[in-house]
Amino acid sequence: MAIKPEVSEEKEVYVSPYFPEYVRPKIEDPGLDETIKRITPEKIEKAYQAVFGKETARIKAIVETCIHCGLCAEACQWYLSNDRDPTYAPVAKVKMTVWELMKRKGKVEPSLVYDIARIAFTECNICHRCSLYCPFGLDITFIIGLVRRFCFLLGVVPQRMFEMNQAFMATLNQVWMSQSDYIDTLFWREEEGMYELKNLRIPMDIEGVEVIWYPLAAEPKAGVYHIDRIAKIFQVAGVKWTMLTINDSWDSSNMPMFIRDFFTMQRIVRGLYDNAARLRAKKLVLTE
Amino acid sequence: MGFLESVALYNFLRGPMVWITFIVFIVGSIYRIYTLINLAKKEKVVLPFINLKAAIKSYFHWLIPFGSRSWRLRPYFTLFTFVFHTGIVFIPIFLYAHNALWYESWKISWWTLPETVADVWSIFVIIGCLFFIGRRIFDPTVRFVTTYSDFVFVFICLFTFLTGFLAHYQWLLPYRAMLNLHILFGEIMLIAIPFTRLTHMYYFFFTRAWMASQAASWKTKDW
Repeated sequence: MAIKPEVSEEKEVYVSPYFPEYVRPKIEDPGLDETIKRITPEKIEKAYQAVFGKETARIKAIVETCIHCGLCAEACQWYLSNDRDPTYAPVAKVKMTVWELMKRKGKVEPSLVYDIARIAFTECNICHRCSLYCPFGLDITFIIGLVRRFCFLLGVVPQRMFEMNQAFMATLNQVWMSQSDYIDTLFWREEEGMYELKNLRIPMDIEGVEVIWYPLAAEPKAGVYHIDRIAKIFQVAGVKWTMLTINDSWDSSNMPMFIRDFFTMQRIVRGLYDNAARLRAKKLVLTE
Repeated sequence: MGFLESVALYNFLRGPMVWITFIVFIVGSIYRIYTLINLAKKEKVVLPFINLKAAIKSYFHWLIPFGSRSWRLRPYFTLFTFVFHTGIVFIPIFLYAHNALWYESWKISWWTLPETVADVWSIFVIIGCLFFIGRRIFDPTVRFVTTYSDFVFVFICLFTFLTGFLAHYQWLLPYRAMLNLHILFGEIMLIAIPFTRLTHMYYFFFTRAWMASQAASWKTKDW
Protein backbone atom coordinates (compact mmCIF):
# COMPACT_ATOMS: atom_id res chain seq x y z
CA MET A 1 0.00 0.00 0.00
CA ALA A 2 1.45 3.26 -1.04
CA ILE A 3 1.90 5.84 1.62
CA LYS A 4 0.02 9.00 0.81
CA PRO A 5 2.08 12.02 1.61
CA GLU A 6 0.11 14.54 3.57
CA VAL A 7 -0.27 17.77 1.74
CA SER A 8 1.33 20.34 3.93
CA GLU A 9 -0.17 23.74 4.35
CA GLU A 10 0.89 26.29 1.81
CA LYS A 11 3.77 28.13 3.41
CA GLU A 12 4.27 31.79 2.83
CA VAL A 13 7.13 32.24 0.42
CA TYR A 14 9.66 34.96 0.02
CA VAL A 15 10.60 35.87 -3.54
CA SER A 16 13.58 38.10 -3.97
CA PRO A 17 12.74 41.30 -5.85
CA TYR A 18 16.12 41.06 -7.58
CA PHE A 19 16.30 37.39 -8.51
CA PRO A 20 12.96 35.84 -9.44
CA GLU A 21 14.51 32.36 -9.14
CA TYR A 22 15.31 32.95 -5.48
CA VAL A 23 12.22 31.57 -3.77
CA ARG A 24 12.43 30.59 -0.12
CA PRO A 25 10.05 30.09 2.78
CA LYS A 26 9.45 33.25 4.70
CA ILE A 27 11.42 33.48 7.91
CA GLU A 28 11.25 35.93 10.74
CA ASP A 29 14.53 36.99 12.22
CA PRO A 30 14.79 40.31 14.03
CA GLY A 31 18.49 40.34 13.21
CA LEU A 32 17.62 40.65 9.51
CA ASP A 33 14.13 42.16 9.46
CA GLU A 34 14.70 44.96 11.96
CA THR A 35 18.23 45.91 11.04
CA ILE A 36 17.55 46.51 7.36
CA LYS A 37 15.09 49.20 8.41
CA ARG A 38 17.91 51.11 10.04
CA ILE A 39 20.41 51.13 7.20
CA THR A 40 20.55 53.65 4.39
CA PRO A 41 22.11 53.49 0.92
CA GLU A 42 24.92 55.76 2.13
CA LYS A 43 25.79 53.39 4.96
CA ILE A 44 25.70 50.47 2.55
CA GLU A 45 28.07 52.17 0.19
CA LYS A 46 30.42 52.98 3.03
CA ALA A 47 30.44 49.37 4.15
CA TYR A 48 30.97 48.25 0.58
CA GLN A 49 33.95 50.56 0.21
CA ALA A 50 35.41 49.30 3.49
CA VAL A 51 35.27 45.65 2.42
CA PHE A 52 35.50 45.58 -1.38
CA GLY A 53 36.64 49.12 -2.17
CA LYS A 54 40.36 48.48 -1.98
CA GLU A 55 41.44 46.25 -4.82
CA THR A 56 43.19 43.21 -3.43
CA ALA A 57 44.87 40.38 -5.23
CA ARG A 58 42.58 37.67 -3.97
CA ILE A 59 39.30 39.40 -4.78
CA LYS A 60 40.63 40.47 -8.17
CA ALA A 61 41.90 37.02 -9.09
CA ILE A 62 38.72 35.31 -7.95
CA VAL A 63 36.27 37.63 -9.65
CA GLU A 64 38.26 37.90 -12.86
CA THR A 65 38.97 34.21 -13.24
CA CYS A 66 35.57 32.62 -12.61
CA ILE A 67 34.32 31.37 -15.94
CA HIS A 68 30.85 30.47 -14.63
CA CYS A 69 31.19 26.75 -15.37
CA GLY A 70 29.13 25.59 -12.40
CA LEU A 71 31.44 22.72 -11.40
CA CYS A 72 31.45 23.96 -7.81
CA ALA A 73 27.74 23.11 -7.50
CA GLU A 74 28.49 19.41 -7.14
CA ALA A 75 30.42 20.13 -3.94
CA CYS A 76 27.77 22.05 -2.06
CA GLN A 77 25.64 20.18 0.45
CA TRP A 78 23.02 22.91 0.22
CA TYR A 79 22.75 22.39 -3.51
CA LEU A 80 22.67 18.61 -3.29
CA SER A 81 20.12 18.49 -0.49
CA ASN A 82 17.76 20.94 -2.20
CA ASP A 83 17.12 18.94 -5.37
CA ARG A 84 19.90 20.70 -7.24
CA ASP A 85 18.18 24.03 -7.03
CA PRO A 86 20.38 26.37 -9.10
CA THR A 87 20.13 29.17 -6.55
CA TYR A 88 21.94 27.04 -3.97
CA ALA A 89 25.06 26.51 -6.09
CA PRO A 90 28.15 28.26 -4.68
CA VAL A 91 28.65 30.24 -7.87
CA ALA A 92 25.00 31.33 -7.73
CA LYS A 93 25.53 32.56 -4.19
CA VAL A 94 28.53 34.55 -5.36
CA LYS A 95 26.49 35.87 -8.28
CA MET A 96 23.64 37.02 -6.06
CA THR A 97 25.96 38.67 -3.54
CA VAL A 98 29.33 39.89 -4.76
CA TRP A 99 28.71 40.22 -8.48
CA GLU A 100 25.54 42.12 -7.75
CA LEU A 101 27.33 44.43 -5.31
CA MET A 102 30.23 44.96 -7.69
CA LYS A 103 27.96 45.54 -10.65
CA ARG A 104 26.21 48.31 -8.74
CA LYS A 105 29.43 49.50 -7.07
CA GLY A 106 27.82 49.23 -3.65
CA LYS A 107 24.98 51.58 -4.51
CA VAL A 108 22.20 49.22 -3.49
CA GLU A 109 18.95 49.29 -1.56
CA PRO A 110 18.54 47.72 1.91
CA SER A 111 16.26 45.07 0.43
CA LEU A 112 19.18 43.65 -1.53
CA VAL A 113 21.26 43.61 1.63
CA TYR A 114 18.53 41.44 3.17
CA ASP A 115 18.90 38.94 0.33
CA ILE A 116 22.67 39.05 0.58
CA ALA A 117 22.67 38.51 4.33
CA ARG A 118 20.22 35.66 4.03
CA ILE A 119 22.33 33.94 1.38
CA ALA A 120 25.68 34.47 3.07
CA PHE A 121 24.60 33.56 6.60
CA THR A 122 21.88 30.99 6.27
CA GLU A 123 22.74 29.13 3.06
CA CYS A 124 26.48 28.62 3.30
CA ASN A 125 28.42 26.69 5.92
CA ILE A 126 31.79 28.14 4.86
CA CYS A 127 33.13 24.60 4.60
CA HIS A 128 35.52 25.18 1.65
CA ARG A 129 34.36 22.15 -0.31
CA CYS A 130 33.44 24.22 -3.37
CA SER A 131 37.01 25.53 -3.58
CA LEU A 132 38.26 21.95 -3.77
CA TYR A 133 35.90 21.21 -6.68
CA CYS A 134 36.59 24.39 -8.62
CA PRO A 135 38.96 23.78 -11.55
CA PHE A 136 40.69 27.04 -10.74
CA GLY A 137 40.68 26.51 -6.98
CA LEU A 138 38.93 29.81 -6.48
CA ASP A 139 38.53 30.61 -2.81
CA ILE A 140 34.75 31.01 -2.90
CA THR A 141 34.54 30.74 0.86
CA PHE A 142 36.83 33.71 1.25
CA ILE A 143 34.44 35.76 -0.86
CA ILE A 144 31.42 34.63 1.16
CA GLY A 145 33.40 35.54 4.27
CA LEU A 146 33.89 39.04 2.94
CA VAL A 147 30.18 39.27 2.23
CA ARG A 148 29.52 38.29 5.82
CA ARG A 149 31.93 41.00 6.92
CA PHE A 150 30.03 43.50 4.77
CA CYS A 151 26.76 42.46 6.43
CA PHE A 152 28.34 42.54 9.87
CA LEU A 153 29.56 46.10 9.34
CA LEU A 154 25.97 47.03 8.56
CA GLY A 155 24.70 45.05 11.53
CA VAL A 156 22.54 42.84 9.32
CA VAL A 157 23.31 39.52 10.99
CA PRO A 158 20.91 36.74 12.06
CA GLN A 159 19.96 37.38 15.65
CA ARG A 160 21.43 34.21 17.10
CA MET A 161 24.82 34.75 15.50
CA PHE A 162 24.92 38.33 16.63
CA GLU A 163 23.98 37.43 20.20
CA MET A 164 26.75 34.87 20.32
CA ASN A 165 29.14 37.50 19.12
CA GLN A 166 27.96 39.87 21.81
CA ALA A 167 28.73 37.21 24.40
CA PHE A 168 32.30 37.13 23.10
CA MET A 169 32.56 40.90 23.04
CA ALA A 170 31.49 41.10 26.67
CA THR A 171 33.05 38.03 28.27
CA LEU A 172 35.42 36.49 25.68
CA ASN A 173 33.51 33.23 25.91
CA GLN A 174 30.34 32.16 24.23
CA VAL A 175 28.25 31.28 27.29
CA TRP A 176 28.49 34.42 29.48
CA MET A 177 30.52 32.51 32.06
CA SER A 178 32.22 34.60 34.72
CA GLN A 179 35.71 33.96 36.02
CA SER A 180 34.46 32.86 39.44
CA ASP A 181 31.99 30.46 37.86
CA TYR A 182 34.78 29.00 35.79
CA ILE A 183 37.12 28.49 38.75
CA ASP A 184 34.29 27.01 40.76
CA THR A 185 33.50 24.54 38.00
CA LEU A 186 37.11 23.42 37.77
CA PHE A 187 37.27 22.80 41.56
CA TRP A 188 34.02 20.87 41.36
CA ARG A 189 35.25 18.67 38.53
CA GLU A 190 38.51 18.03 40.38
CA GLU A 191 36.54 16.85 43.37
CA GLU A 192 34.33 14.62 41.22
CA GLY A 193 37.29 13.12 39.42
CA MET A 194 39.14 12.31 42.63
CA TYR A 195 36.72 9.49 43.34
CA GLU A 196 37.77 7.77 40.17
CA LEU A 197 41.46 8.54 39.95
CA LYS A 198 43.61 8.90 43.02
CA ASN A 199 45.22 12.32 43.54
CA LEU A 200 43.59 13.81 40.47
CA ARG A 201 44.45 17.48 40.16
CA ILE A 202 43.23 20.09 37.77
CA PRO A 203 46.20 22.42 37.91
CA MET A 204 45.48 26.11 37.47
CA ASP A 205 47.90 28.78 36.29
CA ILE A 206 51.09 26.76 36.79
CA GLU A 207 54.11 28.33 35.15
CA GLY A 208 56.59 26.52 32.94
CA VAL A 209 54.28 23.67 31.94
CA GLU A 210 54.40 21.56 28.84
CA VAL A 211 50.76 21.89 27.83
CA ILE A 212 48.15 24.54 28.39
CA TRP A 213 44.64 23.34 27.67
CA TYR A 214 41.93 25.75 26.55
CA PRO A 215 38.45 24.20 26.58
CA LEU A 216 35.43 25.28 24.63
CA ALA A 217 33.16 27.40 26.77
CA ALA A 218 30.44 24.80 26.36
CA GLU A 219 32.55 22.33 28.35
CA PRO A 220 32.54 24.07 31.75
CA LYS A 221 28.96 25.13 31.08
CA ALA A 222 27.21 22.07 29.68
CA GLY A 223 29.65 19.22 29.12
CA VAL A 224 31.45 19.41 32.45
CA TYR A 225 32.47 15.74 32.49
CA HIS A 226 34.85 16.50 29.60
CA ILE A 227 37.05 18.43 31.97
CA ASP A 228 37.78 15.63 34.42
CA ARG A 229 38.20 13.16 31.59
CA ILE A 230 40.86 15.31 30.00
CA ALA A 231 42.43 15.82 33.42
CA LYS A 232 42.61 12.05 33.91
CA ILE A 233 44.21 11.55 30.53
CA PHE A 234 46.84 14.19 31.20
CA GLN A 235 47.54 12.87 34.68
CA VAL A 236 47.89 9.24 33.59
CA ALA A 237 50.03 10.27 30.64
CA GLY A 238 52.27 12.16 33.05
CA VAL A 239 52.12 15.42 31.19
CA LYS A 240 52.82 18.62 33.03
CA TRP A 241 49.77 20.66 32.14
CA THR A 242 47.60 23.48 33.33
CA MET A 243 44.38 25.31 32.76
CA LEU A 244 44.13 29.04 32.81
CA THR A 245 41.99 31.09 35.16
CA ILE A 246 43.89 34.35 35.66
CA ASN A 247 41.73 36.20 33.17
CA ASP A 248 38.87 35.70 30.74
CA SER A 249 40.86 34.43 27.75
CA TRP A 250 40.33 30.72 28.09
CA ASP A 251 37.63 29.89 25.55
CA SER A 252 39.14 28.47 22.40
CA SER A 253 36.01 28.65 20.27
CA ASN A 254 36.25 31.60 17.96
CA MET A 255 32.66 32.17 16.95
CA PRO A 256 33.16 35.79 15.80
CA MET A 257 34.91 34.18 12.84
CA PHE A 258 31.51 33.19 11.49
CA ILE A 259 30.46 36.77 11.10
CA ARG A 260 33.99 38.02 10.43
CA ASP A 261 34.20 40.35 13.38
CA PHE A 262 37.95 40.83 13.01
CA PHE A 263 38.39 42.85 16.18
CA THR A 264 36.88 40.28 18.51
CA MET A 265 38.57 37.44 16.62
CA GLN A 266 41.88 39.11 17.26
CA ARG A 267 41.14 39.71 20.94
CA ILE A 268 40.40 36.03 21.43
CA VAL A 269 43.42 34.65 19.63
CA ARG A 270 45.79 37.19 21.06
CA GLY A 271 44.46 36.52 24.55
CA LEU A 272 45.10 32.78 24.20
CA TYR A 273 48.65 33.26 22.95
CA ASP A 274 49.47 35.96 25.52
CA ASN A 275 48.30 33.74 28.35
CA ALA A 276 50.31 30.80 27.05
CA ALA A 277 53.36 33.03 26.86
CA ARG A 278 52.74 34.35 30.37
CA LEU A 279 52.74 30.81 31.76
CA ARG A 280 55.66 29.84 29.47
CA ALA A 281 53.65 26.89 28.16
CA LYS A 282 55.26 24.97 25.32
CA LYS A 283 52.11 23.74 23.63
CA LEU A 284 48.55 24.93 23.33
CA VAL A 285 45.92 22.23 23.28
CA LEU A 286 42.46 23.26 22.13
CA THR A 287 39.20 21.38 22.12
CA GLU A 288 38.00 20.85 18.60
CA MET B 1 31.19 40.62 -49.79
CA GLY B 2 33.46 42.91 -51.72
CA PHE B 3 35.21 44.43 -48.72
CA LEU B 4 35.47 41.15 -46.86
CA GLU B 5 37.18 39.59 -49.85
CA SER B 6 39.44 42.55 -50.56
CA VAL B 7 43.19 42.21 -50.59
CA ALA B 8 43.43 45.49 -48.69
CA LEU B 9 41.67 43.99 -45.68
CA TYR B 10 43.80 40.88 -45.94
CA ASN B 11 46.97 42.94 -46.05
CA PHE B 12 45.89 44.93 -43.03
CA LEU B 13 44.91 41.89 -40.97
CA ARG B 14 47.98 40.02 -42.04
CA GLY B 15 50.39 42.92 -41.58
CA PRO B 16 50.00 45.64 -38.94
CA MET B 17 47.10 43.97 -37.18
CA VAL B 18 49.17 40.89 -36.37
CA TRP B 19 51.83 43.06 -34.80
CA ILE B 20 49.23 44.96 -32.79
CA THR B 21 47.61 41.73 -31.69
CA PHE B 22 50.75 40.08 -30.50
CA ILE B 23 52.05 43.19 -28.77
CA VAL B 24 48.73 43.74 -26.99
CA PHE B 25 48.51 40.08 -26.06
CA ILE B 26 52.05 39.72 -24.75
CA VAL B 27 52.41 43.11 -23.08
CA GLY B 28 48.89 42.92 -21.68
CA SER B 29 49.48 39.47 -20.26
CA ILE B 30 52.75 40.46 -18.65
CA TYR B 31 51.07 43.54 -17.23
CA ARG B 32 48.19 41.52 -15.81
CA ILE B 33 50.50 38.99 -14.18
CA TYR B 34 52.80 41.71 -12.88
CA THR B 35 49.97 43.73 -11.31
CA LEU B 36 48.45 40.64 -9.72
CA ILE B 37 51.74 39.63 -8.13
CA ASN B 38 52.33 43.19 -6.99
CA LEU B 39 48.91 43.29 -5.39
CA ALA B 40 49.55 39.93 -3.75
CA LYS B 41 52.73 41.34 -2.21
CA LYS B 42 50.66 43.97 -0.44
CA GLU B 43 48.57 41.34 1.30
CA LYS B 44 50.11 39.81 4.37
CA VAL B 45 48.89 36.29 3.91
CA VAL B 46 49.14 35.40 0.24
CA LEU B 47 52.78 34.99 -0.75
CA PRO B 48 54.20 33.61 2.53
CA PHE B 49 51.58 30.88 2.42
CA ILE B 50 52.36 29.64 -1.08
CA ASN B 51 53.56 26.06 -0.91
CA LEU B 52 55.24 25.29 -4.21
CA LYS B 53 55.29 21.54 -3.77
CA ALA B 54 51.58 21.38 -3.11
CA ALA B 55 50.91 23.76 -5.98
CA ILE B 56 52.81 21.61 -8.47
CA LYS B 57 51.03 18.49 -7.27
CA SER B 58 47.75 20.30 -7.69
CA TYR B 59 48.59 21.49 -11.24
CA PHE B 60 49.49 17.96 -12.12
CA HIS B 61 46.21 16.53 -10.91
CA TRP B 62 44.06 19.20 -12.49
CA LEU B 63 45.90 19.31 -15.81
CA ILE B 64 45.49 15.63 -16.59
CA PRO B 65 42.03 14.41 -17.60
CA PHE B 66 40.14 12.68 -14.80
CA GLY B 67 42.96 13.49 -12.40
CA SER B 68 40.69 15.11 -9.85
CA ARG B 69 37.39 14.18 -8.29
CA SER B 70 35.64 17.10 -9.90
CA TRP B 71 36.73 15.88 -13.34
CA ARG B 72 35.65 12.33 -12.61
CA LEU B 73 32.19 13.46 -11.54
CA ARG B 74 31.50 14.97 -14.98
CA PRO B 75 33.12 12.75 -17.60
CA TYR B 76 31.60 14.43 -20.69
CA PHE B 77 32.44 17.89 -19.51
CA THR B 78 35.99 16.77 -18.74
CA LEU B 79 36.43 15.16 -22.13
CA PHE B 80 35.25 18.21 -24.02
CA THR B 81 37.04 20.71 -21.83
CA PHE B 82 40.36 18.95 -22.31
CA VAL B 83 39.97 18.49 -26.05
CA PHE B 84 38.84 22.09 -26.34
CA HIS B 85 41.55 23.69 -24.22
CA THR B 86 44.45 21.64 -25.53
CA GLY B 87 43.15 22.25 -29.05
CA ILE B 88 42.86 25.96 -28.61
CA VAL B 89 46.45 26.17 -27.37
CA PHE B 90 48.24 23.60 -29.53
CA ILE B 91 46.42 23.58 -32.87
CA PRO B 92 47.28 27.20 -33.72
CA ILE B 93 50.90 26.66 -32.75
CA PHE B 94 51.46 23.39 -34.59
CA LEU B 95 49.19 23.80 -37.58
CA TYR B 96 51.01 23.33 -40.90
CA ALA B 97 49.43 26.40 -42.52
CA HIS B 98 50.40 28.64 -39.60
CA ASN B 99 53.91 27.26 -39.69
CA ALA B 100 54.10 28.07 -43.34
CA LEU B 101 53.22 31.68 -42.53
CA TRP B 102 55.98 31.86 -39.94
CA TYR B 103 58.38 30.39 -42.48
CA GLU B 104 57.28 32.85 -45.14
CA SER B 105 57.85 35.82 -42.83
CA TRP B 106 60.81 34.89 -40.67
CA LYS B 107 62.18 31.67 -42.16
CA ILE B 108 61.47 29.73 -38.99
CA SER B 109 59.42 26.61 -38.61
CA TRP B 110 58.93 23.74 -36.24
CA TRP B 111 57.20 20.42 -35.82
CA THR B 112 53.71 20.37 -37.34
CA LEU B 113 50.57 18.32 -36.90
CA PRO B 114 49.53 15.84 -39.60
CA GLU B 115 46.60 17.23 -41.51
CA THR B 116 44.07 14.60 -40.48
CA VAL B 117 44.95 14.96 -36.81
CA ALA B 118 44.55 18.73 -37.03
CA ASP B 119 41.21 18.35 -38.83
CA VAL B 120 39.74 15.85 -36.40
CA TRP B 121 41.02 17.81 -33.45
CA SER B 122 39.48 21.01 -34.84
CA ILE B 123 36.14 19.29 -35.32
CA PHE B 124 36.28 18.17 -31.70
CA VAL B 125 37.06 21.72 -30.61
CA ILE B 126 34.02 22.91 -32.55
CA ILE B 127 31.87 20.20 -30.98
CA GLY B 128 33.28 21.22 -27.62
CA CYS B 129 32.19 24.81 -28.24
CA LEU B 130 28.69 23.62 -29.14
CA PHE B 131 28.68 21.47 -26.01
CA PHE B 132 29.57 24.46 -23.84
CA ILE B 133 26.89 26.57 -25.48
CA GLY B 134 24.33 23.81 -25.01
CA ARG B 135 25.33 23.46 -21.39
CA ARG B 136 24.87 27.16 -20.83
CA ILE B 137 21.40 26.99 -22.33
CA PHE B 138 20.06 23.70 -21.01
CA ASP B 139 21.74 23.11 -17.63
CA PRO B 140 19.68 25.16 -15.13
CA THR B 141 22.58 25.56 -12.71
CA VAL B 142 24.87 26.96 -15.36
CA ARG B 143 22.11 28.95 -17.02
CA PHE B 144 21.43 30.79 -13.79
CA VAL B 145 24.97 32.17 -13.61
CA THR B 146 25.57 32.66 -17.32
CA THR B 147 26.05 36.17 -18.62
CA TYR B 148 26.16 37.36 -22.22
CA SER B 149 29.94 37.61 -22.06
CA ASP B 150 30.15 33.87 -21.46
CA PHE B 151 28.42 33.24 -24.77
CA VAL B 152 30.61 35.81 -26.50
CA PHE B 153 33.79 34.03 -25.37
CA VAL B 154 32.59 30.67 -26.62
CA PHE B 155 31.33 32.12 -29.89
CA ILE B 156 34.66 33.84 -30.58
CA CYS B 157 36.44 30.51 -30.17
CA LEU B 158 33.78 28.73 -32.19
CA PHE B 159 33.96 31.17 -35.08
CA THR B 160 37.76 31.17 -35.11
CA PHE B 161 37.90 27.41 -35.48
CA LEU B 162 34.89 27.13 -37.73
CA THR B 163 36.11 29.77 -40.19
CA GLY B 164 39.60 28.29 -40.14
CA PHE B 165 38.25 24.86 -40.90
CA LEU B 166 35.93 26.12 -43.64
CA ALA B 167 38.67 28.26 -45.14
CA HIS B 168 40.95 25.26 -45.32
CA TYR B 169 38.37 23.32 -47.33
CA GLN B 170 37.15 26.42 -49.15
CA TRP B 171 33.52 25.78 -48.33
CA LEU B 172 30.59 28.16 -47.91
CA LEU B 173 32.24 31.54 -48.53
CA PRO B 174 34.90 32.49 -51.04
CA TYR B 175 38.30 31.49 -49.73
CA ARG B 176 39.67 34.94 -49.05
CA ALA B 177 36.54 36.16 -47.28
CA MET B 178 36.58 33.16 -44.98
CA LEU B 179 40.29 33.58 -44.38
CA ASN B 180 39.84 37.24 -43.48
CA LEU B 181 37.11 36.34 -41.03
CA HIS B 182 39.30 33.62 -39.56
CA ILE B 183 42.22 35.99 -39.02
CA LEU B 184 39.90 38.63 -37.61
CA PHE B 185 38.33 36.30 -35.03
CA GLY B 186 41.71 34.89 -34.07
CA GLU B 187 43.05 38.37 -33.48
CA ILE B 188 39.98 39.38 -31.47
CA MET B 189 40.49 36.31 -29.30
CA LEU B 190 44.15 37.03 -28.62
CA ILE B 191 43.46 40.68 -27.86
CA ALA B 192 40.57 39.74 -25.58
CA ILE B 193 42.68 37.46 -23.41
CA PRO B 194 44.32 40.13 -21.22
CA PHE B 195 41.19 42.23 -20.87
CA THR B 196 38.47 39.72 -20.13
CA ARG B 197 37.89 36.66 -18.01
CA LEU B 198 39.87 34.73 -20.62
CA THR B 199 42.76 35.65 -18.32
CA HIS B 200 41.96 32.37 -16.65
CA MET B 201 44.55 31.09 -19.12
CA TYR B 202 47.31 32.22 -16.77
CA TYR B 203 45.39 33.15 -13.59
CA PHE B 204 44.69 29.41 -13.34
CA PHE B 205 48.22 28.91 -12.07
CA PHE B 206 47.92 31.59 -9.39
CA THR B 207 44.52 30.73 -8.00
CA ARG B 208 45.33 27.02 -8.09
CA ALA B 209 48.58 27.61 -6.21
CA TRP B 210 46.76 29.54 -3.51
CA MET B 211 44.11 26.89 -2.95
CA ALA B 212 46.65 24.06 -3.07
CA SER B 213 48.74 25.81 -0.44
CA GLN B 214 45.74 26.29 1.77
CA ALA B 215 44.69 22.68 1.34
CA ALA B 216 48.24 21.60 2.16
CA SER B 217 48.16 23.62 5.37
CA TRP B 218 45.01 21.71 6.35
CA LYS B 219 46.83 18.49 5.46
CA THR B 220 44.31 17.63 2.78
CA LYS B 221 44.39 17.61 -0.99
CA ASP B 222 42.47 19.80 -3.36
CA TRP B 223 41.89 17.38 -6.22
